[in-house]
Amino acid sequence: MSAVEFKNVSKEYNGNAILKNISFKINDGEFVSFLGPSGCGKTTSLRMVAGLEKNSSGEIFIGNEMISAPEKGLFIPTRERKLGMVFQSYAIWPHMDIFENVAFPLRMKKTPESEIKKQVEEVLSMVELGGMGPRLPNTLSGGQQQRVALARGLVARPRVLLLDEPLSNLDAKLREKMRKDIRQIQQHFKMTCIYVTHDQVEAFSMSDRIMIMERGNILQFATPAEIRQAPATDFVKDFIS
Amino acid sequence: MKKIGLYSLLLLLFCLCVYPFLFLGYSFSFENGAFDWAIYKRAITNPMTIRSFWNTMVVCGSTVLISTFISIPLAWLFTRTDLAFRGFWRTVFCLPYAIPPFIGAIAWIYLANPSNGFLKDLVPGINIYSRGGLIFVMSSFFYTFILINLLSTLEKIDPTMEEAAKISGASDFKVFLKITLPLIVPSLISGMLLAFLSAIANFGIAALIGNAAGISMMTTQIFIFQKMASYTGLKLSGVLSLGLLAIAAVVFYLDHIISKRFRFSLVTGKVARPSLIDLGKKQVGAQLFLGGMAFILFVMPIGAILIAALSKLQGDRSWANFGFQNFETIFFKTDETYRAFLNSTILAVTAAVACSLIAYFLSQASKKVTGPINKIKEAFIAIPYAVPGTVLALALTLTVLSLRLPLYNTLGIIFLAYVAKFMNFSYRIIHDGVSQVDQTLIDAAQVAGANSWQVFIRIWMPILRPFLMASFFLVFMPAFSELTMSVLLTGPSNETIGTLIFQLQEYGDASGGGSAVLAFCVLVIITILNGTLKISTKGKYGL
Repeated sequence: MSAVEFKNVSKEYNGNAILKNISFKINDGEFVSFLGPSGCGKTTSLRMVAGLEKNSSGEIFIGNEMISAPEKGLFIPTRERKLGMVFQSYAIWPHMDIFENVAFPLRMKKTPESEIKKQVEEVLSMVELGGMGPRLPNTLSGGQQQRVALARGLVARPRVLLLDEPLSNLDAKLREKMRKDIRQIQQHFKMTCIYVTHDQVEAFSMSDRIMIMERGNILQFATPAEIRQAPATDFVKDFIS
Repeated sequence: MKKIGLYSLLLLLFCLCVYPFLFLGYSFSFENGAFDWAIYKRAITNPMTIRSFWNTMVVCGSTVLISTFISIPLAWLFTRTDLAFRGFWRTVFCLPYAIPPFIGAIAWIYLANPSNGFLKDLVPGINIYSRGGLIFVMSSFFYTFILINLLSTLEKIDPTMEEAAKISGASDFKVFLKITLPLIVPSLISGMLLAFLSAIANFGIAALIGNAAGISMMTTQIFIFQKMASYTGLKLSGVLSLGLLAIAAVVFYLDHIISKRFRFSLVTGKVARPSLIDLGKKQVGAQLFLGGMAFILFVMPIGAILIAALSKLQGDRSWANFGFQNFETIFFKTDETYRAFLNSTILAVTAAVACSLIAYFLSQASKKVTGPINKIKEAFIAIPYAVPGTVLALALTLTVLSLRLPLYNTLGIIFLAYVAKFMNFSYRIIHDGVSQVDQTLIDAAQVAGANSWQVFIRIWMPILRPFLMASFFLVFMPAFSELTMSVLLTGPSNETIGTLIFQLQEYGDASGGGSAVLAFCVLVIITILNGTLKISTKGKYGL
């Protein structure tokens, strides 16, 4: 488990400034949501932590390790960052069964076979999919697929778990249960989580702190209670009401 | 009312696309009302038939394997890396799809024929008139079928599938091996089958290179049997056609099964910009690799055609030998040239218009139709597209003769062949366009008081314009330089550009040059048409 820090990070794409010199620090074991309308830079920030996108300038840290600093020519590739990620589209590989999907990160680490079996079954039962290992993804519901994705993100004990709008394809009832489950698992492991969402109910019910963004800037980074009591700008006030 | 329209269109398609093949099968299998085992026995014991079958299998099988090895790395480079000049390379490597393969055969004959090929001194022992030569030239065209298939699939795959693997700690190579490759296997196999289908149906390369090499393929053997002009010859060519047809049917059926069984749903949720692999220092290597391949596959053949077209005497490399004499001879002293251009233009325009119109009315008439009728309609259109052109030409000839239609040896029968063969292109595009139009747009016009003609002119035509244009171009281009069917259907003074080039190359014109001049013209015309299509449809169609 690790802290995540951005120092003066900017991102330009085709001459457009997507992130404008932002700095923040997420503490070890903290659950933080990036909240904001589409195009505000929240997904880009998350993908930079993952190394799926590169910042144009500034420094990014996971724990004490610098993982990206274009000015110093430093960029640690995604596969070496030891992260877990859950995507909005689930990204469950259709050609592998559930067990193999979840086992994939362990196989990449060359974990011994007996260990893989034990750990996959453990994490599957944690996400309430015990015994589903041999099933194929297309026999699962959307909610179940998202649990597989969560299990895959957790199985290798990542330093940080990244969640990119993981619940927005689920129906309202399922969403509420998943919110609770994700939060519970996060607290069980005391895992650093970054959760990207445009849904303020989600952000407020799950997070230790919320980072509200708009057009590449951070408007406010505080606890839910603080934001409710003292919204930093009119935009924040409108957005959360 | 609508039903009547649909059924009459289906009847028309049946007559054009299905009946000729039924008739072909019937007339060659039955002799005086009894099934004719003897001719089948004769065909499968005929050494020429057997040899052409094995040659076809070996040459086309090898072509598909080589094409696969060319296509996979290209498709990966074009879709997954930050390769510089990606759009340019993509167009270059897809372009052979639009160029008639016989032009490649002519180019390679100039380059690597054993007597005076340009490469003779550079690469000792090179001989295009060989099995290897045949496979090489075929591969240099038919890989595009696999490449284009792979490119579209690779672009459709949800990028998070691969990102999830990267996050899990997989290297770029592992991501490709464990995630991307398994996901594209269905599309890869389907591309391979399509390439195989095109290779077995090919006549131009098989005839120009295979004949001189003494390697008979099924298509050329059908041609030879038919040109024997004897009753037995005709029967043998018919039976061999049925054999070719059977192979095509098996291939098509395999493709159907595979696409049904393995098609995963690859597109999910929002498709974000995929994160491209940074080639870094390998960028230069990639550029050199593509440049080298492009040099061999395109620059050398096109250069050879140009040099041959400009050489007064083939084989002479002195400066004095270069000039526009061949152009002059071909354009001003050869009557056939003018006729061929006129015929090909008329045929390509009328076929493109006919295909587009039929496709439009069929799409409209079957808009709300589902179930078996829809399947039948799709099958009718797919049949002539899948059937090798040689077989289609033979079936049409027989049908026209048996019905005593005054079409034999006229442009009319070539027109019918083109319409049947290329209808598939038009239909897919226009059906796509028609089904994209929201019914409320039409309803709104009717509420505003437009009658059906006004709706057609003021609403449908403008909305469908890009689709109609694409349909026109995509029929015009292959029809303009068609060879496989035309060479069997053409009669005296009915030459098309394809058949004229073929004749010049195969029979006449000892000093050469003439076929090169025309081949060069076709290359230029096709490239311009493709560019026009691509620009006018903003990159949606065209290569």
